[in-house]
Formats: sequence, C-alpha cells, structure tokens
Amino acid sequence: MSAPLLQLTQATVRFGGLTAVDALDLTLKEGELVGLIGPNGAGKTTAFNLITGLYPPASGSVAFAGRPLAGLAPHCIVAAGIARTFQNIRLFGSLSVLDHVRAAGNLHRTASPLHALLRLRTFRESEAAVTACADELLALFNLSCLRNAPARSLPYGEQRRLEIVRALATRPRLLLLDEPAAGLNPQEKIELVALIQRVHREFNLTILLVEHSMRVVMGVCQRIAVLDHGKKIAEGSPEAIRQNPAVIEAYLGPDHATGLFHH
Amino acid sequence: MPKPLLSFLLALCGAWLVSALSAHLDPYYLDVLIGVGINIILAVSLNLIAGHTGQFSLGHAGFMAVGAYAATAVSLFLGPRLIGDSPTPGGLAENTLFFAALVAGGAAAAVAGLFVGIPSLRLRGDYLALVTLGFGEIIRVLLQNFEPLGGALGLNGIPPYTTPFWVIAAAALTVFVVGCLVNSTYGLGFRAVRDDEIAAAATGLNPSRYKVVAFTVGAFFAGIAGALFGHFKLTITPAGFDFTRSIEIVVIVILGGLGNTLGVILAAVLLTLLPEFLRPVAEYRLVLYAALLIAIMLLRPQGLFNFSLRRPAAPRV
Repeated sequence: MSAPLLQLTQATVRFGGLTAVDALDLTLKEGELVGLIGPNGAGKTTAFNLITGLYPPASGSVAFAGRPLAGLAPHCIVAAGIARTFQNIRLFGSLSVLDHVRAAGNLHRTASPLHALLRLRTFRESEAAVTACADELLALFNLSCLRNAPARSLPYGEQRRLEIVRALATRPRLLLLDEPAAGLNPQEKIELVALIQRVHREFNLTILLVEHSMRVVMGVCQRIAVLDHGKKIAEGSPEAIRQNPAVIEAYLGPDHATGLFHH
Repeated sequence: MPKPLLSFLLALCGAWLVSALSAHLDPYYLDVLIGVGINIILAVSLNLIAGHTGQFSLGHAGFMAVGAYAATAVSLFLGPRLIGDSPTPGGLAENTLFFAALVAGGAAAAVAGLFVGIPSLRLRGDYLALVTLGFGEIIRVLLQNFEPLGGALGLNGIPPYTTPFWVIAAAALTVFVVGCLVNSTYGLGFRAVRDDEIAAAATGLNPSRYKVVAFTVGAFFAGIAGALFGHFKLTITPAGFDFTRSIEIVVIVILGGLGNTLGVILAAVLLTLLPEFLRPVAEYRLVLYAALLIAIMLLRPQGLFNFSLRRPAAPRV
C-alpha cells in the first residue's frame, strides 16, 4: 500500500490559551473525497490553515505524500500540490477572470522574469501556453464569457466558481474546499455538488471539503470526519455519521434524539 | 519584433534626435525636458512599488538621495583618477564614466531598496508608509552628518554630464522595464499581492519575493533619477531630498492613478510643467499640492488619467 496523500498526526494549533485544533489525526488516501464538518468554531478552517501553512502546528505534524510540510511557506505548499479556496471568497478584485487563472499559471510557466524583459520567442511561447491553459480551464467551467470581466464585478456564485478554477490552475493533487456552498441558493448548491463530483472525477483529485450544508456534504463525501472544539469526535461513512450520537450531541446538545440529518 | 522593445528603441532614437538638435533648442526648454524626464523616472518607479504592488512608500526621495550621492561619488572622486582631469567634453570617456556613475547610483539605491523591502514584509498600509518615511529621513540625516560627502553643505562642482539624451533614454528604459515586468504572467503577481496577499500565496505566488523585487527595482530607477538630478543641478544637498520631495512623487503617482503607467507619465509631465507656470506663486506650491490631492481624492479617486470604467482598490494611505 502506498503512503497516504495527506496525513495529520496529533496535529495541534494553539492561539494563546485556546486550543483550536487538538491532537487531530486525519488521513486522506489518493483519490478520496472526504468531508470535514463540525459546529461553528470547531476548528475546521484552522485545520485548513494548518495544512496550507498559514499556521504552524504547536505540536504534531502534517505530511503530504510522505513528505513533512513543517516550515514550508504557504506558496511552497501550493507548489507541492495542495490548493485551497477560502470561506470568505478571496479573489484579486482588480484582476480579470482570465488573469486570475493566468496568475496561478505562474507555477508552470517556462519563461523567467528576465525573459519578460527581453520579450523573445521563449517569452511569447510561454505566455501563449499559460493563456491557452487558462482559457481551456475557463471553458470547462463556463466562465469564458466573463473572461475579461474584473473579478469584483462577478455575481457571488461565479466568484465561488472562479476561486475553484484558480485553485485548479495550480494543478494540485489535493484540493481543500472551505465552505464552497456558503451563501449559495438551493439551486446553486445542487450545481455545486455536481461541480465537485466532476472536478473530483475529471481532474483525478483528492478533495477535503469543509461544509455546513449537510445536503452538500452527505451528497458528495465518501467519508466524513467531525470536529468539535478542535477534537475529532467521529469519523466514518455519511450513513454512520448521521446516526452517531456524539455528533448529534455536538450539534444539538445532549437532550436530542436521533434524526438530525434526515431531510 | 515585439512591440515594447520597438517602442523602447524608437524612444532611444528620439533621445538621440533631441540631443542632436539640442544646440538649436532654447536651453530653458531643455532644462524643463530634463526635469520632466527625471520626474517620469521617479513616478513610474514609485508606481511599481505603490501602484502595482500596493506598498505605499513615502521614502522615494531617500532612494533618490542614495543614487545621487553614490553616482556623484563616482564621477567626482573616482572620475579624475579614471579619465584624467580634462577629458573632452561630451566625449566617449566622459559618457562611459557617466554611465558607470548611473549604474553605481542605481545599484546603491537598489541595495537600499532591498533593506527597506524587508520591513515591508511585516508591515502594511500606514505602518509601512511610516517606516519608509522614517527611512527617507534617516538617509537625509545621515548624509547631513557625514562630512566626507559634504555634510549639510552637500557636494558642489559636480560635472554637468546630464544631457537630454541620457534623461530620455533612462526614462524610456524605466517605462520599458516596469511595463514589461508588469505586463507578463510573472507581473500579474504584483497586482495579485496588492489585491490579496493571502490569496496570492494560496495561488502559489511568493508575496515576500514580489514586494522585495518591487522595492529593489523601484529603488534602482529612483537611484538613476537621483544620479541624473545630481549631474543636472551640479550641486546636491541632503535638504534637497527631504520629505517634500517624496510627497511630490507620491502626488504625481496618485494624480496619474495608482497602477496606471500611462496616467502616471502624463501626471509627471503635468506636475513638472505646472510649477513653471506658477512661478509667481511659488511659495504656495505645497498648499496647492495638498489642495490638489484632496480634490483628486474626492473627485477622481481612480486618478486623473484613469479612463477605464472600473475603479481600482482605494489606495492604502
């Protein structure tokens, strides 16, 4: 059996006296689509920030494809193959849709900044390749018509989609989606589920998904891990999580009967 | 041939043409032309730092001072030893020496830019503006108290090497380098870092690298501008590179529109010519500048010469 793609071992993040992520063990195998859920403040986004290098672990470790990520800057972790989206959309407001994807293409361009000064054939070929790649991705996600629009002018749903496309343009092996369904209407959520499944299938990706919308999580995830107060309280198939008393207690308090996730 | 390179070569031809005709032109206009060129270099280079990369810097005159003093040191102290005391005016030896002086000035300022770029990795917005302001003042005070470079009296008797050719060529080079850097896949990173640093890092771009590159390249050209300035005015004093000078450059960049190279060039022309027309009320120039800034902020926050419909992010002052 090959090494897991992502492995968190007793990973802990502390902010002063607050332990935001507490001895988290999490393993993702290549090709899995795993959900990470939990009540507000459970430490889901902190776990993402830990994996992507924004926060260092206070103890424990994060390894990607068998290689420890300790001490790597966020942009190096992206280069290693982990891309992410943000809970509060973070786009480059003044850049066009195309330029977002081109900016991500920086990881794969062949021309150096010095080529940009000389403007010789190497440079033009590299630029054309980056733009062609970007256009291809935009076409796949129906954003071609908005190609030259500045990102801040896009409708909310398209902004979410652009963030996913930008992450894909870095050609990751592991994609972290932080609440991609937040703020979407029911119709858009259905489209998002289809989009996630398509990305997972067509790009051969491993996906870790943080989400509040149970419809989305239960719909797409093969396996779900539940966090509460930084600790992992349950892990298993969507069916098992639905019935798990510890999970129901975390969401609704101790006095509630089963049946929370039945819609 | 790619177009930016072609425009650059055309500008060089234009520079040569102007210098060939300079004997027949009114020296006053040539002086104004040199002033305009120097301000274009300063503004376009600051625009890379403050406009494209969003690192608001109030220390551009400091880089200029470093460049001016380093270049003058080369032409004034090293020059006589290298090319003798009385070279042919405008000859090859003189021009080679001046070229070396310009490169030295740019390089010294670039090193200073590297040192200022490093705090910019930790600070942003007002805090960074304060640090860069402090840097400019430190440079000025250091020069004021450093007797080998003339102290408060500055350096006099600088050889008059600055010609319209050098200024136009340097301005064209600045516009070319900054324009080429920014208009490339690599250069998208500058704007990405300005718009959202965390997202830029999550896209695989190294925000620290981009900021340091912006400061270093910007400072390099500010240093060249300082070198040209020194060999044009023939005397430099630390007081000539004070905070007011930095503000003048900032005003040009904001007037032209942060991140808008063409607008910044137009603004540099306008704001250099303006004092020429306003000579009778010269004492009120700073008042006028402040009023102009406030008016622009209220009426055209995207810059006077920014005609695109979208409004860029509000400048982080």
